[in-house]
Amino acid sequence: MSANHGSAILLVDDEAGFTKLLKMNLERAGNYRVEVLNDPTQTIAVAKAFRPDVIILDMVMPGMNGTVVSTKLLEDPDLREIPVIFLTASMEEGEACAEAASVGIRTVVTKPVELPVLLEVIESALQM
Amino acid sequence: MNDPIDPAEGVALESRMKEVQEAFAHQKEFFRSVVDLLPVGVFCKDAEDGFRFIIWNRKNAEITGTSEQQAIGKTDYDLFPEEVASKYRADDEQVMAQNTELEIPSEDFVSEEMNRSVFHTRKAAIPGPDGKPRYLLGISEDITARHLAEKRLEEANEQLKETQLQLIQMEKLESVGRLAAGVAHEVKNPLALILMGVEYLTGGIDPDDENLPGVIDEIRRAVHRADKIVRGLVDFSSDRELNLQRVSANAELEHTLLMVRHELTKASITVEKDFDENLPDVQVDRTKFEQVLVNLLINAIHAMESVSPRPVLRLRTRQGAAGDPLSDGGSRMGPALRKGTPLVMTEISDNGVGIPEDALNKAFDPFYTTKPTGLGTGLGLTVVQKIIELHEGQIEIRRNQRGGTTVTILLKQACP
Repeated sequence: MSANHGSAILLVDDEAGFTKLLKMNLERAGNYRVEVLNDPTQTIAVAKAFRPDVIILDMVMPGMNGTVVSTKLLEDPDLREIPVIFLTASMEEGEACAEAASVGIRTVVTKPVELPVLLEVIESALQM
Repeated sequence: MNDPIDPAEGVALESRMKEVQEAFAHQKEFFRSVVDLLPVGVFCKDAEDGFRFIIWNRKNAEITGTSEQQAIGKTDYDLFPEEVASKYRADDEQVMAQNTELEIPSEDFVSEEMNRSVFHTRKAAIPGPDGKPRYLLGISEDITARHLAEKRLEEANEQLKETQLQLIQMEKLESVGRLAAGVAHEVKNPLALILMGVEYLTGGIDPDDENLPGVIDEIRRAVHRADKIVRGLVDFSSDRELNLQRVSANAELEHTLLMVRHELTKASITVEKDFDENLPDVQVDRTKFEQVLVNLLINAIHAMESVSPRPVLRLRTRQGAAGDPLSDGGSRMGPALRKGTPLVMTEISDNGVGIPEDALNKAFDPFYTTKPTGLGTGLGLTVVQKIIELHEGQIEIRRNQRGGTTVTILLKQACP
């Protein structure tokens, strides 16, 4: 994973406590630059400014769902190429995967997730 | 000196006396027949002769298993166990002393054959030749059959209540099933946070790490959050008899919102709260009241899902009295409740698909549903109404100006 050290990750999730700890872990484990966003409606603006290499996106958020954010990213020529990892706390994983696939996302990670597993997924996404 | 009786006159007098005696005997026999034919037990005691029986009709013989011949000239102490006889005597003495009537609505009697019966007895004082109370008249009606029927009706009512509570519980478990996925989501989020905290601590604990207190605090908060939501669901699903306690409708709405938070977020529904800050408490079974709120909130969410461009759920609480006008004009608070009864109003409004006008009066009917197959049992609102009725409250459903549905619950305020 060392090849991608220093990569930029945009973390969009309304769970402020979770994003705070995940950011600390990612920064320490992978030496990533992590930007946290708890308000999904700001994703496009922040992504344009921050230029992430990968976006980790929660699926169910108040204000704007992950699938809607993802569609907006795909519609934007500057952002459409950025790989997106969906995070979900849903019990219905099949349903979540189908929902993700409907907006062209194939990487879905279920909460709670072990850090090494998430790091692997991030690295795979960065190599796409 | 009396004049000597003319023999012819003496014969006539004797014949007249015989006629009178015969008429008297006939009257007595007639009276006896009437008393014997009465479908109630009739007895009479002479208070001046130690309360000995002087009348004991046929029905009374049937009831007690003691014949007229056995009873006449005897007292209660000769015929019944001492304890029973003393009770009868005390009643008799009270009636005679007060020259009044005594009503004994229900009196158990066990015959010599050990047959148990229930009687409704009335006792009264009847005057003697001098106008003073002398005779104790008793009339006993056998109400055993009525008593048994009342008992059975009471039992049937109890069973019905039990069945209703079971129905309420079944419908609640249905709600628990519907809530489970959302609650699991709400629990998995703090679990994800805890795992991230553990991952951070696994990297080694440096006492100088300034992040450390924050990490531990986040973990602790996540544990409490998960506990709160799980506890809420377990409380909600518990099966209890009607257990009334003072609760705040505002707090109950907040608590219930937590259980459906996932569904609200998923459907991007905005929640607008308009709570009366000084709302008096209501006296309700908390879990059943929550069941009502969960049911109504889920209905509102279903009605708004993928229909409204901007779904807004409005929750309102107010205090008032039965008969007060409601804010949207026209209708009044709790028209079926006694005017002036202090009430707490809880209102849930959506801007979803709405219920067609002709379906409004069917909304509370069992098995009536507008939801697609599999989404509802058709018992939700029936059970909601039943729960509100158990609390002597009232529930109304109507179309609102936003095209959706408003449900108003009125419950009596708890005593201050």
